[in-house]
Amino acid sequence: MHRLPTLLSGIFLVFLASWLGLVAYPALQLGRLTPVADADNGGTLPPVYGGQAIAGQRIYAMEGCISCHSQQVRQTSITSSDVERGWGVRPSVARDYLRDSTAFLGSRRLGQDLSNIGVRRPDAKWHFVHLYHPSAVCDGSLMPCFSDLFLVRKIQGQRSDEALDLTGADAPKEGYEVIPTVEAKNLVAYLLSLRHDYPLPEAPIKKTGPAK
Amino acid sequence: MIHATLPNQQKDSGLKPVDNRSIDASVRLPVIILFGNAVHWLVIASLLSLIVSIKLIAPGFLGGISFLNYGRLAPMARDLMLYGWATQAAMAAGIWLMARLCGCPLGGDKGDGLGGMLLRTLIISATILWNLAVLLGTLAIFAGYSTGVEWLEYPHWASSMLLLSFLLIGIWSILLFDRRRTGRAEVAQWYLVAAFCCFPWIYGTANLLLVWKPIQASAQGPIQSWYCGSLLALWLLPVALASVYALLPRLLDCNPNRRHLATLGFWMLLLIGGWNGMDRLIGGPLPAWMTSAGVVAGVLFLIPVFIISINLLGMPRNETIVSSNFPVRFFLMGLYALVLVGVIGALDSLPDFSGVVRFTAFTEAKAQLWILGAVSLPLFGVLYEALPQLLGRECWCSTLSGRHYIITLVGLGMLIALMLLGGLFTGIALTDPTVSFLNITSYSYPFHLMECVAQLLLLIAALILGVNITRSLAGDYLLNKQTGK
Amino acid sequence: MNHDHHIHQHENGTEETNRPLSPWLVGAFMLSLCWGGFYLAFNSGGFRQDVYESNAVNWAGGGAQAAAPVDPKVVGKRLYTQNCVVCHQPTGMGVAGQFPPLVGSEYVLSQGNMGENHLVMLVLNGLQGHFMVKGQAYNNAMVPWKQLSDEQIADILTYIRSDWGNNAPAITPDFVTQIRKETAATTDSYTQEQLMAMPAIKPATVPGSSPVKK
Repeated sequence: MHRLPTLLSGIFLVFLASWLGLVAYPALQLGRLTPVADADNGGTLPPVYGGQAIAGQRIYAMEGCISCHSQQVRQTSITSSDVERGWGVRPSVARDYLRDSTAFLGSRRLGQDLSNIGVRRPDAKWHFVHLYHPSAVCDGSLMPCFSDLFLVRKIQGQRSDEALDLTGADAPKEGYEVIPTVEAKNLVAYLLSLRHDYPLPEAPIKKTGPAK
Repeated sequence: MIHATLPNQQKDSGLKPVDNRSIDASVRLPVIILFGNAVHWLVIASLLSLIVSIKLIAPGFLGGISFLNYGRLAPMARDLMLYGWATQAAMAAGIWLMARLCGCPLGGDKGDGLGGMLLRTLIISATILWNLAVLLGTLAIFAGYSTGVEWLEYPHWASSMLLLSFLLIGIWSILLFDRRRTGRAEVAQWYLVAAFCCFPWIYGTANLLLVWKPIQASAQGPIQSWYCGSLLALWLLPVALASVYALLPRLLDCNPNRRHLATLGFWMLLLIGGWNGMDRLIGGPLPAWMTSAGVVAGVLFLIPVFIISINLLGMPRNETIVSSNFPVRFFLMGLYALVLVGVIGALDSLPDFSGVVRFTAFTEAKAQLWILGAVSLPLFGVLYEALPQLLGRECWCSTLSGRHYIITLVGLGMLIALMLLGGLFTGIALTDPTVSFLNITSYSYPFHLMECVAQLLLLIAALILGVNITRSLAGDYLLNKQTGK
Repeated sequence: MNHDHHIHQHENGTEETNRPLSPWLVGAFMLSLCWGGFYLAFNSGGFRQDVYESNAVNWAGGGAQAAAPVDPKVVGKRLYTQNCVVCHQPTGMGVAGQFPPLVGSEYVLSQGNMGENHLVMLVLNGLQGHFMVKGQAYNNAMVPWKQLSDEQIADILTYIRSDWGNNAPAITPDFVTQIRKETAATTDSYTQEQLMAMPAIKPATVPGSSPVKK
């Protein structure tokens, strides 16, 4: 290997192995997965996102939520703690991310896994208050306050329906209210759409045992 | 110090290797620009890492301002460490080493003519373009234009600029190998050729499929993990290893490595390194065979690590040289870090262990040790070795160098130990579903607190290096030259 | 720092020796490669694209996870969220004065004079006019849901009978089919009087046996 062409060919061929396995294969196989029909209501699985949720993905990327939150429930052959903790009824599979523009799989859990947060916390108002001041809702949370996603404004006439119900030190001054901006609403719409609780051919939902 | 081989080993072309001074003169400006900027980005990245780790113990620190949220600063810190410091220093080390090992000045036969000048202008513009891209990309993340893909947060225009400038710089290193005036190719040269070939391929593929023209998200997970692993194992690590293969034997003044061991290590690293990133995705949303491939690759990665370290650490060492020579000490510490990386990687690829520690600081520690230890320490070694020769004079202040060495090691050691322990603790607590997540967060508080101290030490070390290199480049002469340090 | 080395020229360059590899080393590497091969062979789910659990080896083909039964409560919750949440809310508490709660509701839990058939009938055909739930008066209309399949209605009812502190046995799809057949002639939503005029049927808890008429 004293000649450049020989060395380059060798490097090319050896490197090709991992490239084929980890780039070409996913792109050609996983990248061509299609939605499956939903027997229950004639739609498709995974379900289609609404426009607000699609816009919310941009906010998720922008605020760097992926730095602290993952969005994958691990296979039970590796660990069942994700499923047992209630972070999902079944492990995540590739098809679950079909509708996303970016797969926010994440690699660090400084905060909870979010792949099924739409199931655990279906209430938009809870999300708004949580984004505004996380440690007021979850004591000891490391999450920063996303107060820039909200507006504090003077109450005009009647208190707005969208105004957050804040108490104590978080509550705005007398006569003022905190309302979510469009970005906050989009982000929460995206969070509410995060649910992998439907079965797929490769990921059935296992019967969990007798009723409570 | 790296000299051209003797005439009886020259290539058939009959050209004699050029002397070191001319080679250094041809690469001086690009390498100094790259190294100098790399160190200054290292300082900024260390500062951001410190702020980010403070936010883990005091979430309200610098709170309320969206630009300074964890989610923006953490990617900025990591990308600056990767692209601002590590890749840039690797480019600088790569060009200098390749030019010297090939006995051929940059630009080859064009020499001092118009062609040579144009070439040098091109390369210098490329170095400036690289730094501009890093700066603008980082500011873009700050302003909210992050792509949301881990390790590839720069917007598409910034990553294209990075790739372009790399191609403009890297192509010459490869061509130098072809035009070399020395005889038998050294192991270090193979590593450099491999590194300079692989980076554009890795970076280009990952950006194309994840950022520029994203493919369907169901496929993005493995590609992103492949990118993380390959960047570390097939670009940064080979350059670091090339530095050690090239410089350590010469500095230790001994006959170096066993060639067929080195050959085996090289090819195994290339073969397994690409799969190395899959430990980030064990148990993830991929077909089972990919998870298993990740497990196997993580464990088998020990093979090239052991081969290489046996090869290099097995060289006879003259203790007086070791204790007096910073580059040597950095190289040796870098090799020890590499062995530790291999061991941690093998551990956290085992399925049961991965199930416990994935997503905690444990797997993060492996990446940090890789970047800050196995890659950065040898690059510091090259920096300390190269700069005096490029400037033609002794320029480092040995007190500052000594402080930099010690504080880096202490800070890095502390950081990695804390992250490993803290991650293990957190992971074990997480396996019990009855323990609430917030409880676990509070358990990790003491670890995060001490990690802040470690990051502070690393920042101080980076600042010391920054002051040292600034003084050197500003023409201050060495003061208080102390022997035996 | 000793700087002499970088001006000093070696006498014999960078010759590399070729001492043989230690046999222990070679043995260890071969062993680890073997381990890798075996591990990959037995933990890759047959290298199939649709097998995600790595300990599910199935060389004969057919995904190893086929035919695992689906949990009706999970499906029921999803359907509830899609169809019922608008009025009865995700908490099952309804809206005071407008939509009755499902939590602790005698309709849902089939308590007192209520049978499971009443619950299925009112979901199939709807309810209108005045009615009482948990001692509160309501005057509203619930739309019929006969367009949902028997399985879907059974899953939803099983779910609402098991969440929010409710604890009542599951409803089977067969039972829904039976009630649907019996009430096929009904065209209008029931009033509470019409509903309660029909005798309660409580299906036996043992599936497959005939329901008990109260």
